[in-house]
Amino acid sequence: MFRQFARQVRGNRWMQAGALVGLWWCCQWLVRVLGLPAPAGVLGLVLLLGMLLAGLPILWIHGGASGLLDHMVLFFVPAFMALLNHHELLGLVGLKILVVIVLSTLVVMVGTALVVDLCMRGRQDHAR
Amino acid sequence: MRAELLHRLEPQSLFWAAATIGLYLAAHALYRRHARVWTSPLLVTWAACFALALALHTSYPSYIRGTQWLVTLLGPATMAFAMPIYEQRQLIRRHWPVLLTGVLAGSSLGFGSSWLFARMLNLPAGVCISLIPRSVTTPFALAFAQKVGGTPELTATCVVVTGLVGASLGMWILEWLPLRTAFARGALFGMGAHTVGTAKAREVGELEGSVAGLTMVLAGVFSVLAAPVFAWLLR
Repeated sequence: MFRQFARQVRGNRWMQAGALVGLWWCCQWLVRVLGLPAPAGVLGLVLLLGMLLAGLPILWIHGGASGLLDHMVLFFVPAFMALLNHHELLGLVGLKILVVIVLSTLVVMVGTALVVDLCMRGRQDHAR
Repeated sequence: MRAELLHRLEPQSLFWAAATIGLYLAAHALYRRHARVWTSPLLVTWAACFALALALHTSYPSYIRGTQWLVTLLGPATMAFAMPIYEQRQLIRRHWPVLLTGVLAGSSLGFGSSWLFARMLNLPAGVCISLIPRSVTTPFALAFAQKVGGTPELTATCVVVTGLVGASLGMWILEWLPLRTAFARGALFGMGAHTVGTAKAREVGELEGSVAGLTMVLAGVFSVLAAPVFAWLLR
């Protein structure tokens, strides 16, 4: 019976996604009960990574995990709608905030990419 | 609990959940045919939902009542990043010092430049503080804002706008910045545009996506660790 169940889980991405949601739910409970400072998603990430490293076959979660990752954009849309609530952000303050976000994002992206690129090239030259 | 469930099954709630998913599927199909920066499913779905909500005079609370469960799925989606990280474990084992350097540099730049630009534009102190963690993914940014003394709601909005702006800016930067390594491209997205950027990086490449996811998680953990220092500095 267990084998049959295992085969079913391997083949069904909806069941896998459901299992991941279940695991996340347990993590949320753990975070609340133990009063952990990390969000449940991150605790779940660490637990799941631990399980994979301990030998959980990746095929058991592959379909569900890819499904969740591929459609992550959908989960964001409602969060973006919070802007409906912030009409004051459509004025001058909002414009200033937007300028800060654009400039600072440029700085972060270019800076991070250059630092990592330099480090990686340095290591590759070193290895040669 | 039961009243809450009944609320979710109200016709209006069902309508908004169906509309959001339907518009997303349409946007997804559009993007498959015409892949451009401005046809990104996030932008198109959001713009369409926003226009529809404005046209129907729907307020945010009544919109979110039907769609909160979609946002909740961000938790399991964050968890699912364990898979790409596991698949790239060899690479991470080999290059973890680079990743760590990138996260430290990126976080300092993010916190510092947000604060500095906000001060330069004479924004109120509360807004400046709320802007500091804007490049970190939402759950961590909220934890940071609460500890340091910003407005969590404002922080959440800024995080969301950063994701949207960053995902488009990132594609544009990739076009003119000569980056040779996939690590740099991934770190750029993970550090600059958190989860939205990671989703974008997955479109650029498998390795880019994993590095972006890993950078995002590390940056989040780092921000929570750094929060007490900022709370002390900004006292």
